[in-house]
Amino acid sequence: MTDLSFKVTPPPHIRSEESIPSAMRDVAIALIPLIAVSLGFYRLNALINLVSCVVAAILSEVVMRKIMGREPTLSDFSAVVTGLLIALVLPPTVPWWYAAIGAIIAVAFVKELMGGLGRNVFNPALFGFVSLIILSKLWGHLNSAISGAWYKGNIAGVTSATPLTFVRPTALSGVRPGYWGLFVGHAGGALGEVSVLAVLVGAAYLIYRGHITWHIPASIIGTVFVLTAILGENPLYMILAGGLMLGSFFMATDWVTSPQNKTAQIIYGILIGVLITVIRLYGAPTGAVAYSILIGNAFTPLLNRFVVRKKFGQVAAA
Amino acid sequence: MEYKTFRGGIHPPYRKEAASLPIKELSLPGEVVIPMQQHVGAPNNPVVSVGERVEAGQKIGQSDAFISAPVHASVSGTVKAIEERTIFTGAKTNSVVITVDSNQPLKWREKRDVSALSPNEIRNTAKEAGLVGLGGAAFPTYVKLSPPEDKPIDIVIINGCECEPYLTCDHRLMLENPDDIISGLKLMMKAVGAQKGIIGIEANKLDAVHVLSSRLEGESSIEVVVLEVKYPEGAEKMLIDAITGRRVPPGKLPSEVGVLVQNVQTACALHEAASTGKPVIERVITVSGGGVKNPGNLRVKVGTPIEHLIEQCGGFTGTPAKVIVGGPMTGWAQKDLSAPVVKGTSGVLILTEEEAAYAAELDCVGCGKCLDACPMFLEPNLIVKYVKRGQYDLAEKFGAPDCFECGCCSFVCPSQIKHVQYVRKAKAELQAAKKAAAKS
Repeated sequence: MTDLSFKVTPPPHIRSEESIPSAMRDVAIALIPLIAVSLGFYRLNALINLVSCVVAAILSEVVMRKIMGREPTLSDFSAVVTGLLIALVLPPTVPWWYAAIGAIIAVAFVKELMGGLGRNVFNPALFGFVSLIILSKLWGHLNSAISGAWYKGNIAGVTSATPLTFVRPTALSGVRPGYWGLFVGHAGGALGEVSVLAVLVGAAYLIYRGHITWHIPASIIGTVFVLTAILGENPLYMILAGGLMLGSFFMATDWVTSPQNKTAQIIYGILIGVLITVIRLYGAPTGAVAYSILIGNAFTPLLNRFVVRKKFGQVAAA
Repeated sequence: MEYKTFRGGIHPPYRKEAASLPIKELSLPGEVVIPMQQHVGAPNNPVVSVGERVEAGQKIGQSDAFISAPVHASVSGTVKAIEERTIFTGAKTNSVVITVDSNQPLKWREKRDVSALSPNEIRNTAKEAGLVGLGGAAFPTYVKLSPPEDKPIDIVIINGCECEPYLTCDHRLMLENPDDIISGLKLMMKAVGAQKGIIGIEANKLDAVHVLSSRLEGESSIEVVVLEVKYPEGAEKMLIDAITGRRVPPGKLPSEVGVLVQNVQTACALHEAASTGKPVIERVITVSGGGVKNPGNLRVKVGTPIEHLIEQCGGFTGTPAKVIVGGPMTGWAQKDLSAPVVKGTSGVLILTEEEAAYAAELDCVGCGKCLDACPMFLEPNLIVKYVKRGQYDLAEKFGAPDCFECGCCSFVCPSQIKHVQYVRKAKAELQAAKKAAAKS
């Protein structure tokens, strides 16, 4: 009887069913309403970009991990989620191959090169997105420098007008969607910007499953609402239009790149909210949410390190 | 109905199938191994020698230190050896090995009226009986019954939560020995001069709530409080918070907020010691898990090798993957079956491969679930991060010394990180650093 060998490990000896694949699957499920609505509005354009981004993300992960001599982690679904998110932050007018470049940058460089899931400093999808914005400007210069460039399509569409453009007094000509349209669904802007309702349904699922809490999204949205109201803008339009909802619920809450304790999360959210307001009103409206969250990401290690949670029974802050 | 509880914690699968099995007396083993240290505090020195005959209940080890608890022979027999033996933690401890006589005289029949005992006599009874916290912590009871003068105790809480999965021994004891528990509680209240007694029980043991409440009709000073079923409801600080709303500050003892907490078995044993003079030489433990043929709640002599226990429960069924002394959240995995049952042993679990999922640790993904689960409001992810980097001062800042190792963080971790292991490392390093600083 004593010759049996037993496993000796530190406690606890039981654990929950939860794993990284199950959590990533939940994020993918939470994106379904948004994907469905964007497919409804943009049809084939949306489908092509979603597929190309997911495929590019998966291939990037496989190739990159092979090169770096690491075990494959495809089964954790994180590449699929990153691919979906990249496609969702891009407008449908972006050519599929350009969207795929964003996915490659996100997964191969921002995630895998940094050491894989858990070690990346920046949100891969957003980093991929702003890389595309910057590259598209560069591309314009390159195109004119090299006469007869092989591609003449519209990659500048990365920064194409979103409903947000109409919020400024110097609005471009066009039909400004109403609040109801912004909330329920409208064609305009990126795939993930078509319906606030779809974002909220997905977010509610993530909150229900315990993967995210209200702290980060509420403090971003609340800050933008209050600040834009103070600055004389239309606060309701500000929070409904553009990528604010998608960014607040699906990007800023990214586990790896956001702080963990609730106080730090609220500071993080306010910081991002202030940045969004400033960049939208005084900088470029497009990409404001992405830039702001990425800057917020950079502050995450600092917030984790210096905003210490109050311990059980602790009276004064130590 | 909303039950009282604390903030944080987890809901593990409870698997308390053994709750319906009445307590049974376990047959005696051929020999018992009685470690000289079964408690928090100074180890005892053996006061018997090899070849000597000992009687059940005879003191065989004692110490002059304030924080210690004597040990007694749990059976009548002959001292076979005094040597180092491996205990459940894997550590080697000086132990008295006794060959068990085939004939065991019955003792501890005559009852004494416990209501006449003075506070000092109660404390002495606890000390002489070698009574320690039988919930698992094994802290000497008489020390807890001697609170500092400047910290009066107004509430004594009897911990009947038994929040660890699988374990049901306390539950059975509440059903079968309610009067002894109540008597033990009254003795404790008297010893510390508390006006109020509370028995805290999780809502998955409503039958025990019912039994104890019915015995307490007309008692104005003692009440039963029903608590939410949540782990670690029975942790001292969590239980005090849930019942009284008082929070014990970091690094402080419950006496800081005027509360004394004792486990149901401790109360029971105090009553027995006071009424019959019987020291702590046996206890009720749960043998359970998918890997044992006949689970049960057994009254076991201290020193009984767990191998004997498992044999008496019909042996293994299927392929056991892990043998655990204690509960599945905080218990100790065993390499073999030689370790003896000690005073603090609440259970022996035999887990199958499916029950004891074990996966390789992945990188932290920063999900923050460990923070939400931590009942002490620490930041387990950052403790791990800084222990990995060898920055123990930062591990301290994020709460390593305040951690009582409940394991909630690891339970919820999607990356299967073993936080408790890192916390123990941090505690050891911080202790060593403190010692080094004191020397220089």
